[in-house]
Amino acid sequence: MRRIARELRSPVPVSSALDARIMGAVRRLPRHTRLSLWSRLTTRRTVTVMPLSWGVLAAALLVFALLGLRHASDDLHRASKPIANALFPSIQKPAAPQRVQFVLVAPDAKKVAVVGDFNGWDASHSAYQAQHRGGGVWSVTAPVPVGHHRYSFVVDDSLWVADPTAPRVIDYDFGMPNSAIVVQEER
Amino acid sequence: MICLGRVVAALLLVAPAALAQDARLSARLDKPTLVAVTALVDSARGAKLPTAPLVDKALEGAAKGSDGQKIVTAVRQLSHQMGSAKRVLGSNAGPDEIKAAATALAAGVSEHDLAVLRAASGKRPLTMRLAVLTDLIGRDVPVATATSLVVQLARSGVRDQDLALFQRNVRADIDRGADPTAAATTRARGLVLRPASPGTKPSE
Repeated sequence: MRRIARELRSPVPVSSALDARIMGAVRRLPRHTRLSLWSRLTTRRTVTVMPLSWGVLAAALLVFALLGLRHASDDLHRASKPIANALFPSIQKPAAPQRVQFVLVAPDAKKVAVVGDFNGWDASHSAYQAQHRGGGVWSVTAPVPVGHHRYSFVVDDSLWVADPTAPRVIDYDFGMPNSAIVVQEER
Repeated sequence: MICLGRVVAALLLVAPAALAQDARLSARLDKPTLVAVTALVDSARGAKLPTAPLVDKALEGAAKGSDGQKIVTAVRQLSHQMGSAKRVLGSNAGPDEIKAAATALAAGVSEHDLAVLRAASGKRPLTMRLAVLTDLIGRDVPVATATSLVVQLARSGVRDQDLALFQRNVRADIDRGADPTAAATTRARGLVLRPASPGTKPSE
């Protein structure tokens, strides 16, 4: 046992060239320096990409485009729908707007416009300006998308009047009455 | 290899937010109102609710000259009502049904009655039925009576165009001085007793 212990305690002779060989090998390795963000962005590097990645990227871009168009068509209404329809006719083909006649009897009015969900509540929208047909009758026939809409007449740019012939909407959020219209697709 | 997944994920996260801003809102609302309304619209989008009615509500408020606080309150309330409507009508409900149902809830129809009308209508769209129901309530027919009549008409498989005619007749009767409840009840009875039009199918 003592002999074995003595043997293990005795130092192992190491060649003096070993240190030099190890340090030489270390110095030959490529240096890893911590680059700043700017250096990372501006230093030329070789990027390796699996061929499958291009497929994943293409699919993701398609999803991106579809998502974008869906949100755009949701929020921007008719403005974006023609674009979506042109690009994806088989995916989204909403019913064409129907022509609807709006009539209001307002003998003392100088100007009557229709405002509603279908025109962004814009009283200056040219397609929804009613014409005086005589005898105090004002009317306009304008395109309205298929669906449920709230609307009202604006008389002389100041007086809000619900359509007396249409279903009423009970919302007094802004203190002025509205009417409802349900436009259905023509068959 | 640079992870393309991270790039793609970043694109998908940024896109909806960037597109969310409605140019019409920016043009018609002041900055604080715009920020609040945009947040509500984004939140509704996250909950898979239709966002166009919220934008329309804000535009309506702006057109009517309401102050920002009122606009935000109205948009928030509509968003809440659409959430309730969607919960009751189910995930298959279309945007118009959700919008019409939210209007009906605002008029005083209960969620339970909405569910009863949904069940009575089978797979048929509810939009016209809800519009007529809301109109009856607006013409002073009590909510319970109006709901009961419309549910009855739905169970009888009355078509949308007949419902529209029913609404016009009730309005005309009321305009001529009839009691709203009597007018609605009488016209509904007449519609239910009338022989079905060709092509009319009983409700599913």
